Amino acid sequence: MSRGNGHKSVLVIGGGIAGIQASLDLANMGLQVYLVEKSPSIGGRMAQLDKTFPTNDCAMCILAPKMIEASSHANIELYTYSEAEEVSGEVGNFRVKIRKRSPFVDWSKCTGCGLCEEGCPVILPNEFDQGLGKRKAIFVLFPQAVPKKYVIDKREERPCKAACKDACPAHTNVLGYIKLIAEGEFEEAYKLIRDTNPLPAVCGRICYAPCEEVCNRGQLDEPMAIRDLKRFAADHVNIEELELPTITKTGKKVAIVGSGPAGLAAANDLAIKGYGVTVFEALPEPGGMLRVGIPEYRLPKEVLRKEIGYIQKLGVEIRTGVRVGKDITLEEIRKEYGAIFIGTGAHGGMRLGVEGEDLSGVMEGISFLRVVNLRGKAEVGKRTAVIGGGNTAVDCARTAKRLGAEEVRIVYRRSRAEMPASAEEVAAVEEEGIGIELLTTPTRFFSENGRLARMECIRMKLGEPDASGRPRPIPIEGSEFTTPVDTVIAALGQVPETEFVTELGISLSPRGTIGIDPKTRATNIEGVFAGGDVVTGPAFVIDAIAAGQKAARSIDCYLKREPVAVEEEERVPEKLSEEEVADRQKRYPSQKRVKMREEPTQERVKDFREVSLAYTPEEAIEEASRCLAGLIEGCIECHECEKRCEAKALVYTMQDEHVEVDVGAIILATGLDLYDVSPLTEYGYGKIKNVITALEYERLTAASGPTFGELRRPSDEKIPENIAFIQCVGSRDFRHKTYCSAVCCMHATKEAMLAYEHHPGTKSTIFYIDMRAVGKGFQEYIARAQEEYNVTYIRSRPGKIEVTPENDNPIIWYEDTTTSETKKFETELVILCQAMIPRNEEAAKILGVSLDDCGFVEIPDKIFHPLDTARSGIFACGYAHSPRDIPDSVTQASGAAARVAEVLAGGS
Amino acid sequence: MNVPEVVEYVKGLPDIVHAERNLFTCSEEGISAIKKGIKGHNLNRVIVASCTPRTHEPLFRAACEEAGLNKYLFEFVNIRDQCSWVHMREPEKATQKAKDLIRMGVAKARLLEPLEEVETPVIPSCMVMGGGVVGMSAALNLAEQGFEVHLVEKGKGLGGTLLDLYKLFPTNEQASKLVESAIQKVAAQSKIKAYLSTRVKDVRGFIGNFEVVLDQDGKESEIKVGTIIVAIGAEELKPVHQYGYGKFPNVVTQLELEQRMKKGEFEGQNVVMINCVGARIPERTYCSRFCCMTAVKNATLIRESNPASKVWILHRDLMAYGEDFENYYRWSMEQGVRFIRYDREKPPQVIGDGTAEKVRVWHQLRGREIELPADMVVLTTPLIPRADNEEISKMLKVPLSEQGFFLEAHVKLMPLEFATEGIYICGSARWPTEIAEGVAQAYGAAAKAAIPMRRGYVKPEAITSYVNEDLCGGCGICFEMCPYSAIEIKAENGKRVAHCITALCKGCGTCGAACPSGAISMNHFTDEQILAQIAALTA
Repeated sequence: MSRGNGHKSVLVIGGGIAGIQASLDLANMGLQVYLVEKSPSIGGRMAQLDKTFPTNDCAMCILAPKMIEASSHANIELYTYSEAEEVSGEVGNFRVKIRKRSPFVDWSKCTGCGLCEEGCPVILPNEFDQGLGKRKAIFVLFPQAVPKKYVIDKREERPCKAACKDACPAHTNVLGYIKLIAEGEFEEAYKLIRDTNPLPAVCGRICYAPCEEVCNRGQLDEPMAIRDLKRFAADHVNIEELELPTITKTGKKVAIVGSGPAGLAAANDLAIKGYGVTVFEALPEPGGMLRVGIPEYRLPKEVLRKEIGYIQKLGVEIRTGVRVGKDITLEEIRKEYGAIFIGTGAHGGMRLGVEGEDLSGVMEGISFLRVVNLRGKAEVGKRTAVIGGGNTAVDCARTAKRLGAEEVRIVYRRSRAEMPASAEEVAAVEEEGIGIELLTTPTRFFSENGRLARMECIRMKLGEPDASGRPRPIPIEGSEFTTPVDTVIAALGQVPETEFVTELGISLSPRGTIGIDPKTRATNIEGVFAGGDVVTGPAFVIDAIAAGQKAARSIDCYLKREPVAVEEEERVPEKLSEEEVADRQKRYPSQKRVKMREEPTQERVKDFREVSLAYTPEEAIEEASRCLAGLIEGCIECHECEKRCEAKALVYTMQDEHVEVDVGAIILATGLDLYDVSPLTEYGYGKIKNVITALEYERLTAASGPTFGELRRPSDEKIPENIAFIQCVGSRDFRHKTYCSAVCCMHATKEAMLAYEHHPGTKSTIFYIDMRAVGKGFQEYIARAQEEYNVTYIRSRPGKIEVTPENDNPIIWYEDTTTSETKKFETELVILCQAMIPRNEEAAKILGVSLDDCGFVEIPDKIFHPLDTARSGIFACGYAHSPRDIPDSVTQASGAAARVAEVLAGGS
Repeated sequence: MNVPEVVEYVKGLPDIVHAERNLFTCSEEGISAIKKGIKGHNLNRVIVASCTPRTHEPLFRAACEEAGLNKYLFEFVNIRDQCSWVHMREPEKATQKAKDLIRMGVAKARLLEPLEEVETPVIPSCMVMGGGVVGMSAALNLAEQGFEVHLVEKGKGLGGTLLDLYKLFPTNEQASKLVESAIQKVAAQSKIKAYLSTRVKDVRGFIGNFEVVLDQDGKESEIKVGTIIVAIGAEELKPVHQYGYGKFPNVVTQLELEQRMKKGEFEGQNVVMINCVGARIPERTYCSRFCCMTAVKNATLIRESNPASKVWILHRDLMAYGEDFENYYRWSMEQGVRFIRYDREKPPQVIGDGTAEKVRVWHQLRGREIELPADMVVLTTPLIPRADNEEISKMLKVPLSEQGFFLEAHVKLMPLEFATEGIYICGSARWPTEIAEGVAQAYGAAAKAAIPMRRGYVKPEAITSYVNEDLCGGCGICFEMCPYSAIEIKAENGKRVAHCITALCKGCGTCGAACPSGAISMNHFTDEQILAQIAALTA
């Protein structure tokens, strides 16, 4: 189905000022206009300008009303981000196929609010700022864009499956923050992590990193060092000076019991949502197991303190030393707060259940760590044995070593393969000279003088798998032996301490954990929620964080009296197929992961210094650059924008669409491009920092530009007091473009005036061949530039630009063409007024319109039909037609509209 | 200035329901914020305090209208022109002034009244003044669109300046051939009525309904048209007493040269052309745009017809702007035309006795004076406004620029329109224009004229004056003062009273200010509204 009517419809190609003006005139004549623009917004080159000559009006002030008028005119249908692809038929009866490129955003929903853009981790050069500024992969071309709709710059498929994000319990946008690190945006990376994880510095050190296990890069060579990169990002921001989000208070209050990772995560999210949050912590310091269970050498207290400090700055009050059930009852809390979250973790140690366990010198592991972490020290003997094979056992052993124990060994009842501690931890243990006695378990402790002196152990063998799936250890009869020992630390595991919840009647599982509804995270008592180890038994930090976050969402719904939002189904981390692996290996060379350096073993065991040394920025960027997702240009489909979009406007699967319209006539108004001046090597563009082009300069002076209108030169950001313009760079030059670009003399004069307006006193010198000021008021404009704006014109031909190494000042060597003398001129900034070229090749091909030698539209009858192309019914105006300025383009556009009206009425 | 502070201040003013800050009020977001605000807060007045009504008032009014609010209930406080630009370097005072200005705007807005615009019909007929190629092009376009066209030419025939030209740039076609074909087309077009030897004697009325009195060799007739296009061209400056012009018979202007060439009367072995004669000088600062190219064209034609000839062009900047001109300029050099740049401080001298014999000029590159032999000296002079521009501008009530050319409403926004609706401008009457540009402008002016004629009606602004007949003493001062002839004096019940023809009234307020009995008020600028503004300022 096509739209439009040949007698009353017109296609205008190009949404710059000429196309807009032609469309408005036609629409006001009562004709239906289809305005097709390749970029996502109309406005064209004029939108890039700060001011326009000869009136020095603000370009946007003149253009914006026209853009809005065009977009809201009943007779104009805008097709931005679209191209005419095929044109058939003839005058009075053209059929045009328009391809609407997929913006991957449903424009009927997009409100242009910009939340998506803030989160996007992909930073690209902003073509609207001539590449001087940056934009995101999801973007609007400029703030006043019409339509103000977002577009995703998606260029190719992501080479990996982003399994990392699916594997992470908190679904941290791993590919996103790694991309930001690769781009050197370390603080942005931290902020992105923090959106889903309030403890990046913590997790960057002690997370078990399930993401790395599934990382698709691991299928090619080695998985990404995701955790280490997270730590890098966290170490490179000053958390204490990080800006705070704007929070709208709800006036409601939530209590949280326990300041471990679950409680902190819930507190963080609820505070951001505007709730007044109070955290009750039994211990004298906040942080839960992070504070008292993890040794300093793995997680420095200072790091934890800063991340908790930020949560406090969000308005969260943490009351330490308040044990719920003893100092305050749950019932009392419940009266004051709208909801309660219980995240008290699992701090109870398990007993060995052997004789002599209560002797002085036998300690329970988690209490041992708590004492060391709170007091900084504990008594250990010369010979220390740690019972158990988990991470806590390892932490106890390494801590004992650092406290001065001469001989430390780990005693574990199964074999190495069954040790729950991570392999790297076990390796570190051995590196530090700690022995591991496998298939052994203590059976009795003996004392001498009231203190532990010996331990009796028995050897074990492995039997059939038990309930945990691991082989059951079976004692070997008669294998008992005794060994001298003066400290035993029993690290057998932890259990939640949940007696205090029974006062409210909260039901417990047989294991002593709190039972919750897995969907709502609510306990059986209304308004009371729970999560973390207290629900699951001992698990990992990131699991507790995820549990706290989910509970926070649920509490938010509960307090708003809304049904709990159904959580999306967890996606299973995907692997690359064999073919995909083969393909990626072909495309991307193998690259080993960058290892973090560590403190030398001999040194580090002497104190509690942090063992791992963070990446340097170079190392981090190198490692981050391995990420498969980040190897592509444009959108990496991390779905961050989707997460933030309140209008639910993102559609990653959106396809290009085709529309057919029937029109009677067509106007070509595709405007101009800038000629690439780098082949003019004599001027040093791209090599000499302080040589820029005129349009780059324009963006630097524009209030909406990358510097918000601050004119500073590139080499040292100094405000230049002395600048020079070179005319005809690539124009009037048989090596490049033979024609005169028709705009640059006046453009340079205007830019020189702007320099003076920005910084009165600025001296501008314009090197020109002929000062072609032929328009209405132009001579007077030049005179004003000379008299009031400190502009000097030198008739000359510059041949070469050099640079003064000390101050980066360019030196222009030129021939004064009034005297034939060669002279030099030192300045602070050189602006090259580059040639402009028509941007009409593709459109002309589709329209079947011929172009002349210079690429402008060929006009068979230049005198009586100066706007008619060689193909009947197709007209041209603006720069696509021939070099011209805005006033001339606008008049031509109106003229083309009249010609259209004439042929549609049956004229010739 | 401190915008958040101003917003907070405004929020505290009486009757303000809602105040907000937008980064770009003229963007789509800003417009939708206005519409949302009207609906969401049930607003009955809207004030934008930002830039200038000159460019943006229609936009914001339209937004109000779309949201269902009469557009005259919109008030614009011009912070840009009246505050932020003029007080660029004193932000604190500017902040205070912005508060004052907005407070005044609020005081006025309180008293704003909804106004209705009265639809008036547009006669689908256009008068084109000027029968040159530009006027003919506009006339043909409108006629082909189906409108009746009255083409008024004061000369004896159509064709204008083209009749005097020899060959046309860039195709080197005979001008006479081309002009002939255009004249034939006009003659064949039944919708065009051409009036030769005719002057426009008087124009009354307003867009949609102009009453025009024509004087054809002393015979008067009246026509009614909906729109008017001015395409009366310009004339070549005759450089009397310069460079021997008028003294030596072989010193001529470019146009005179072309006339001679056309008649085949031109002979000359050595020709020296001098550009910028009477242009780009303190007395006449402007550049006439295409005369360099006229010189280049004629010089090349001489070289072509007589390869043994020597032709020099003494020029200042050579205005071969754009594509075709620059290529032609390059080609002329290949054809052997010699270019010598001269300095305005050291102009050439034409030397001779009875006839011009040589031209002496300071050669910059050689650093000395040289002498060029000259059988003929051709002076390139600018186009100047026609002598009757002033009379026509008064008759049409449209302005002229300092140089005497017609002045458009806005060089970029409305380059072919006058501030007076229904009257349009194109060609060299607006600014020296070469033929193809002039024709493109003719089409552009035709498009502008076609818009109201195709629509069939216009809605003039409702900001007009009105007379309280009880107070009016019939003195007629307003009638004298009105620059738009919008006041008529009527006799009613034996009493003379003034009456405003609202379709003609532009709302300038002159009558209201001049009225000695306080009988005239302005819609949208009533005494009460203005006094309230003053009271708000001084309170």
